Amino acid sequence: MSSQAQQASMAQDGATVRRPYVRPISKTSWFMTHSRYKHYMLHEISSLFVAIYAVILIVGLFRLGSGPAAWQGWLDAVTSPIGILFSLAAFVFSIIHATAWFKAVPQAMRLMRGGEVVPGNLIIGVHYVVWAVVSLFVLILAGVA
Amino acid sequence: MARSAKAVPWFLFAAGGTVLAFILPVMIFVTGLAPAVGMFSGALSYDTMSGFVGNWLIKLILLGIIVLALWHAAHRLRVCAHDFGIRADTAVAWVLYSLAALGSLATIIALLRV
Repeated sequence: MSSQAQQASMAQDGATVRRPYVRPISKTSWFMTHSRYKHYMLHEISSLFVAIYAVILIVGLFRLGSGPAAWQGWLDAVTSPIGILFSLAAFVFSIIHATAWFKAVPQAMRLMRGGEVVPGNLIIGVHYVVWAVVSLFVLILAGVA
Repeated sequence: MARSAKAVPWFLFAAGGTVLAFILPVMIFVTGLAPAVGMFSGALSYDTMSGFVGNWLIKLILLGIIVLALWHAAHRLRVCAHDFGIRADTAVAWVLYSLAALGSLATIIALLRV
């Protein structure tokens, strides 16, 4: 029997198909069942804070282009209690993202050097060094200005 | 090798994840937490900031960071939507990537105004 004829006969028997399997877990809270899934979800949710922070930065750039008073207004909003609360949460989530991301790099990217696989811990270590250098550079830049 | 149309969003996602991991914590600290305790008030003054962002190299760097942040977040939020049980992936992807494109355009306009 050709595959088309097979499909046609299966379609005719549609009424007798077996009961579909339904997963006995929640679609919306499945990640609460295991600490590994909770960590995964925590990392995933950090992207929401990244998006909101990006929007805050874009608004800040628009304010900066509109003159000193507008810029001061943005600064006041950022340093308001809600602004500080958001920054605190975004800061924590950005660190969750960084550590989780660095941990995953050797799993996503296998580097070969001289016929040997570069050890994962070395790749992670280099990322932490770059992270420290970049952070220090920005802090010095902001401190000198 | 099979070519995939997913290469572009995937590259933006991967590059974004790495760049954001390096720069975002310190950036949030400088622009969000430090001013709350009066740190870096000189750097965040209007004169310093408009001069700083007025530099074309800084404009390009900021554009890169913000655009990568938007596309990275869009890609991850798409996965998030799936994880929370939303199965309309095409619609979700369309909305999120459109928002990222809109945000990227807004960033360019905002940077050109400074």
